[in-house]
Amino acid sequence: MAAVAVHQFAPCITCHAWSPDRSMVAFCPNNSEVHIYKLSEDKWEQAHILQKHDQIVSGIDWSSRANRIVTVSHDRNSYVWNYEGSEWVPTLVILRLNRAALCVQWSPQENKFAVGSGAKTVCICYYEQENNWWVSKLIRKRHNSSVTSVAWHPNNILLATTSTDGKCRVFSTFIKGVDTRDSKAGSSSDSKFGEQILQLDLSFSWAFGVNWSPSGNTLAYVGHSSTIYFVDDVGPSPLAQNVAFRDLPLRDVLFISEKVVIGVGFDCNPMVFAADESGMWSFVRFLGERKTSSTGPKYGSQFSEAFGKLYGQSKHGINNDGVDNSRQRGGVHENCITCIVPLGEAGSSTITRFSTSGLDGKVVIWDLESQQDLLEYL
Amino acid sequence: MMAATVDFVEADNAEAIISRIEHKSRKIESLLKQSRPVEALKTALEGSPPNTRDERCKSANWIVVHRAIMAIKDLDALFSSLDPEYYDILMKYLYRGLSTGDRPTCDQCLRIHERLTERAGLGCILRSLADTMNTV
Repeated sequence: MAAVAVHQFAPCITCHAWSPDRSMVAFCPNNSEVHIYKLSEDKWEQAHILQKHDQIVSGIDWSSRANRIVTVSHDRNSYVWNYEGSEWVPTLVILRLNRAALCVQWSPQENKFAVGSGAKTVCICYYEQENNWWVSKLIRKRHNSSVTSVAWHPNNILLATTSTDGKCRVFSTFIKGVDTRDSKAGSSSDSKFGEQILQLDLSFSWAFGVNWSPSGNTLAYVGHSSTIYFVDDVGPSPLAQNVAFRDLPLRDVLFISEKVVIGVGFDCNPMVFAADESGMWSFVRFLGERKTSSTGPKYGSQFSEAFGKLYGQSKHGINNDGVDNSRQRGGVHENCITCIVPLGEAGSSTITRFSTSGLDGKVVIWDLESQQDLLEYL
Repeated sequence: MMAATVDFVEADNAEAIISRIEHKSRKIESLLKQSRPVEALKTALEGSPPNTRDERCKSANWIVVHRAIMAIKDLDALFSSLDPEYYDILMKYLYRGLSTGDRPTCDQCLRIHERLTERAGLGCILRSLADTMNTV
């Protein structure tokens, strides 16, 4: 069984993040609060509640070195939380947005964080020592619609974004005084702040979820048309591959090695994609076990109930009453998975553990150690 | 700039597309006479103009595809010889058929839709619904 632990924390979870030592988990139970649970003697207990936002918290990231939490919310604000004494102390970051903030991620060196928003902008925030203040610099007029996801390249300079205009873009986020030119970033560090390195027009519908491979050589993002896109050689002449799959679209992706990607989304069951020796990506299998009982829905997903009605009830079992059936779907998650977080050592090139959370309010920890067929791809 | 280029190409192309569709139509009629409905459907789906925004081209091609869809009798034969590359475009035309509200067309489209969904999965439906750029 690939799912090693399942925790029902709330009726619905918008996003979650882990403490550096993985002993605590922070999540938003679909309201304006962030709950932090601590694992003590095999039981999860509520340790803190972070209350400062006015609306749904849409993004949480917990920095692994500095032990800082950043949260963003539909109330257009962001807070950086520092643990002082026994309390989490918030610092307001003025993002200067006129629409909701949608996603957030710390940069690999944790001296910056990026916020995607419904205002068609991306904020790059950094700490100014002299003013004791987090400053937000905006990348404006580049996106034609909401920014749904952001992902940092390991070089701490490049940032990939996905947007509901269907495009995936890569920007330079070089900030004078924060980043240094002589870093190992190579030619990408020559670019000015906000310069667009690349725009990918592969998707014809909304794009959600983007991630870099551990080396930063490959980029993956997902489109709402049940397609995942892989891009090699990010630069002037990128090499792109589309992989269309037969199930419901994905919401988020995670590279667990250079050759393996996990996608999560509306099908409620993580999907594994892998590249062969020649670099061709393909769908491998679902990670969770799929129950194929005779009374189960034919297509194994949320949509199937509606299709059952469309095609007449006779094909399905007698017990085909909406909610009941969806509860029996057989997967670990019972609703759309919106968030996937790695649980490996920071900077390591392969990850075998990761966690997912979704609209069913569960946080599920997955371990690939027991999945022999998948370990071969790593 | 992109859009301007596309418009320019289209004005030039609309007539060419229409005449291609007319040619296709004749080929389909002869295939149907030879009782090869699956070949006719493949021919109809090939070279569909999803990129164009010219409604005349889309309607003309729909008439051709509709003719081929309605001629399909044996669904097993259809899916044993229809390659997966046709699935997405066929799904788009099935939804266009369903949107007509015409009883026999809807019956036929729904019949094919069920089998196509079994084969190609819900992803195929999502690709036809979520794509607002390449419409048929």
